[in-house]
Amino acid sequence: MWYKKREEKEEKMSVTIRFFAQFGELLGTDISAEPTSGGALADLIKEVASKNKEGYDAIFDKNGAFREFVIIMRNGKRLDTAHAENARVADGDEIAVFPPVAGG
Amino acid sequence: MIAIQTDDVDIGKLVSDAKRRDTGAIVVFDGVVRDDDITDMDLEAYEKVAVSELENIAREATEKYRLLHVDIIHRIGRLSVGENILVIVVSASHRKEAYEGSRYIIEAIKAGVPIWKKELTKDGGRWVPGEHRHGRGTGRHS
Repeated sequence: MWYKKREEKEEKMSVTIRFFAQFGELLGTDISAEPTSGGALADLIKEVASKNKEGYDAIFDKNGAFREFVIIMRNGKRLDTAHAENARVADGDEIAVFPPVAGG
Repeated sequence: MIAIQTDDVDIGKLVSDAKRRDTGAIVVFDGVVRDDDITDMDLEAYEKVAVSELENIAREATEKYRLLHVDIIHRIGRLSVGENILVIVVSASHRKEAYEGSRYIIEAIKAGVPIWKKELTKDGGRWVPGEHRHGRGTGRHS
């Protein structure tokens, strides 16, 4: 019973991915995703970004690694892109992906 | 006041409101849309994070330079040449702290606050490249 309940919760996992600036133009600005539990954050971003080749190529290099300038936030906190490769997404996460900032 | 907004800013009122009995200097930084052969500029922000980071920057500057008052208002949306983009008002007892506090705030904003600019031209548009291009690491406000 415990196992079943846990499975049901995992099925309802909901994550928001927000792309900004040129990434948002290419991929959309506010995307809801329902990934399977335990998935890697980088894999989720790849899956969402793969709908637009130009957008995917703006974020990932030819080896599928984050380009060096890409910035990632999870729930408002910066996440080193090296760690994002293995970080796991959690239900309710808001993931932001954007290029270097240029305010001021 | 710390804000990200579309509306313009009444700088005169901010200066008046920044005065305290022990204020000896007020420094105003006014970032303006420059005519680099553009028609307009679009500004976009990750608003809830940007406001939080502006508040952190104001708090840090206040502590570091003993500031008496800080306003940071960053505009978003479509702006024309000559319009205000960013207004920083800093009040301090002495000019040194006021100048240094203002400089600290603008450099911190440029280094890490999630705001972007797109310059619009007759032929389309171009995103302004950030000055701090490295995405590795967790940044100053992690």
